[in-house]
Amino acid sequence: MLTFIIKRIVSGITVLVAISVATFFLLYYSGSNIARNILGEYATPDQVAAKEHELGLDRPIIVQFGEWASQAITGNLGVSWFTSQGVAESLLTRLPVTLTLLIVAIIAIAIFATLIGIAAAVKRGWIDRVVQVGAVVGEAIPSFVLGVIFVTIFAINLAWFPATSSIQPGAPGSAWVLSLTLPAIALALNGMTSTAQQIRSAVIAQLEKDYVRTLRSRGIPETVVLFKHVLRSAAPAGLTVLSLHFIGMLGGVVIIEQIFALPGMGALAVQSTVLGDTPLVMGVVIYTVIIVIIVNLLVDLANGWLNPKVRVS
Amino acid sequence: MKFRPLVVSAAVVAAASLALTGCSGSAASSGSGSAPTTLTLGVLQNINSFDPAQAHLGHQMQIYQAAYDTLILREPDGTLSPMLATEWQYNDDNTVLTVDLRDDVTFTDGATFDAEAAKANLDHFTEANGPDANQGKSIKSVDVVDDDTIDITLTEPDPAMLYYLSQAAGFMGSPDVLGTDGVKTVPVGSGPYILDKKASVNGSQFTFTKNEDYWNPDLQKYDKVVFKVLTEVTSRVNAIVSGQVDATLLDPKTSKQADKKGLKKTSYPVDWQGLLLFDRDGAIAPELEDVRVRQAINYAFDRQTMLDEALLGEGEVTSQVFGKTTEAYIPELDDAYAYDPKKAKELLAEAGYADGFTLEIPMLPDTETFMAMAKQQLADVGITVKLTSATIADYVPNIIQGKYAVAWFSIFQGEPWVAIRQMISTDAAYNPFKTTDDEIAGYIDAVHFGGEKSGELAKDVNQYVTDNAWFAPWYRVNQLYYSDDSKVTVEPQVQQAVPNLYNYSPVS
Repeated sequence: MLTFIIKRIVSGITVLVAISVATFFLLYYSGSNIARNILGEYATPDQVAAKEHELGLDRPIIVQFGEWASQAITGNLGVSWFTSQGVAESLLTRLPVTLTLLIVAIIAIAIFATLIGIAAAVKRGWIDRVVQVGAVVGEAIPSFVLGVIFVTIFAINLAWFPATSSIQPGAPGSAWVLSLTLPAIALALNGMTSTAQQIRSAVIAQLEKDYVRTLRSRGIPETVVLFKHVLRSAAPAGLTVLSLHFIGMLGGVVIIEQIFALPGMGALAVQSTVLGDTPLVMGVVIYTVIIVIIVNLLVDLANGWLNPKVRVS
Repeated sequence: MKFRPLVVSAAVVAAASLALTGCSGSAASSGSGSAPTTLTLGVLQNINSFDPAQAHLGHQMQIYQAAYDTLILREPDGTLSPMLATEWQYNDDNTVLTVDLRDDVTFTDGATFDAEAAKANLDHFTEANGPDANQGKSIKSVDVVDDDTIDITLTEPDPAMLYYLSQAAGFMGSPDVLGTDGVKTVPVGSGPYILDKKASVNGSQFTFTKNEDYWNPDLQKYDKVVFKVLTEVTSRVNAIVSGQVDATLLDPKTSKQADKKGLKKTSYPVDWQGLLLFDRDGAIAPELEDVRVRQAINYAFDRQTMLDEALLGEGEVTSQVFGKTTEAYIPELDDAYAYDPKKAKELLAEAGYADGFTLEIPMLPDTETFMAMAKQQLADVGITVKLTSATIADYVPNIIQGKYAVAWFSIFQGEPWVAIRQMISTDAAYNPFKTTDDEIAGYIDAVHFGGEKSGELAKDVNQYVTDNAWFAPWYRVNQLYYSDDSKVTVEPQVQQAVPNLYNYSPVS
């Protein structure tokens, strides 16, 4: 088990390094006018040159990357070029919002997808057909479209929720709940239908197995059969899809946060990328990759715990 | 391994998330039930740094004004009034500006505002390489005369100097923090409000509370001022329609939603939009060297139709680049180039381009609508436009480096001297090819050394650049500023993207 975790961590670090290098170089070769954008259009060429020197942009990219990397290894992600704030500080104030949003959405997906998937597998008939159609429709509508529709209906017309985030430092819990409900549903609906579809297929496959017949013939109640035995065997398929959705949602959250003006990492990613704020973009990328690595590790562990066969491979 | 605990915890989580999603709080509006003495504004831009020397005019002014006072206060109509400076006087040749200062002002860290502090700020401003550093370009030196007087010596007269002292160049921070890392994220000024860092997230929200020791309570109309940074116009319209912000700037398309809601609309022209025909010497596009070609381009546009289509009629058509609120404005020039495709063709033929020519114009994202119209209208008179795509990050740098012969832009119509130094003089950012001749140079000099008369003298500059078709302006755009007039009264600010912070007052 320990070797398995260590292996995973080593490969995770490899990925982290590769992505950091790639991002840094991409930013360097796409953002040639950072100093000009910081200073605005009325800055003279001399001013721009001075600013580039101040930021160290006039040095070779290898030197720049080396300096950034040597700092990053010690945990120092530097200071944003555009907000003068420490990168780690900026990210830490925003991480809770994004993580809460993602975790609420993923939990909602897990619970509802499981219930819907089992219902479709056991009852078949019309429920099953609705789930089948829903999976296609749900997959086709992007979460940001849902977000825009939700804002119009529930925030503007009905005024049940705030239209833009009211989360701020020291805001009461109610502000968090109200501000995150609509974006979380918008994020979750997209993944819910297809996860339900996966669970449905896996449960149907399990129900046809011999052990289910054996359990039933012993008089074990159907709910126990379903929730204890069948679901456990069907879970890995669902978990894998769930982890893929979680990673997919890291992309969706970027746009959702823009729509709801949430002070999260996604919104920061957009702002810093548009400006070419290298230290901040790198910080966002590193945090995101670490989150993905952790989620994947957790899913593998859960799968191993649910299904001993996986551990061997 | 027991499965039971998982089932139990899942049930708990399910119940919790049901409670979350099923929550239909009756009219749970957060942020709008605030006390009447809180002002919440939706702003378009985040700021780079709270160092006063990094201040930038336009959208960011309000945030700096909360923390910092300027030497001179610019009234809503553009008049300059005393603020930290009580009086100012130029010498005979307008090269030394003597400024008398208040002696009863203290910064929030306890430092005293005096001549030394003012000098420290102006020196810092000229060295700090901020976005508006050009405002201090003509400052040669600042000398302390006595405790509350300074002399600002200029390298040459600068008709816009006093205006600059009401803008970025005029913000006064505590001399003890200038240039430190701390002031980048926490402002230390003498302004009406103090940043509440605990209730702020950079890039998302800045919260300020009343400065209890402020010297001028008349300007301090709120206990709390909150700036919500909403870069997306959709978020802004949602925020104002649902009452989360008291006032914000919208655009023609989103404003209809705010109109339906019965919000108060304040519209005033700030920018002109259209084409800048940079390459008047024909360096990249040889055809543009002929003034008749540039005039033909001007005659080709059906400005009113473009305005109606692109901006739903929110503006006024014009053929001149100087704003209505400035002394350089000449009413007749608004229709100097009324739509006349026939005349455009004639001029092109005279210039030797009867068969037309091809012109490359860069296109920014979200400008496709009117650029397509421009392309069509130029095609109608025989000019084939090739639209090349440009990114927001590279657009201005490319303009300044002279990579475009022609480009579309939205330029704010400031005071005549500000406008001249922005797009007409040889050192102007928007005159990348440094076009000039003796005639225009003479008019510019007249404005430069005109002192009191310089605004009036700028009419000659206006007439010249219009006659010679240096630009192809389409229209003056209305800024559409919306506010909830049941909560707040707003006075618009001439020639500024958004009103000054002092222009808001609570509805009692």
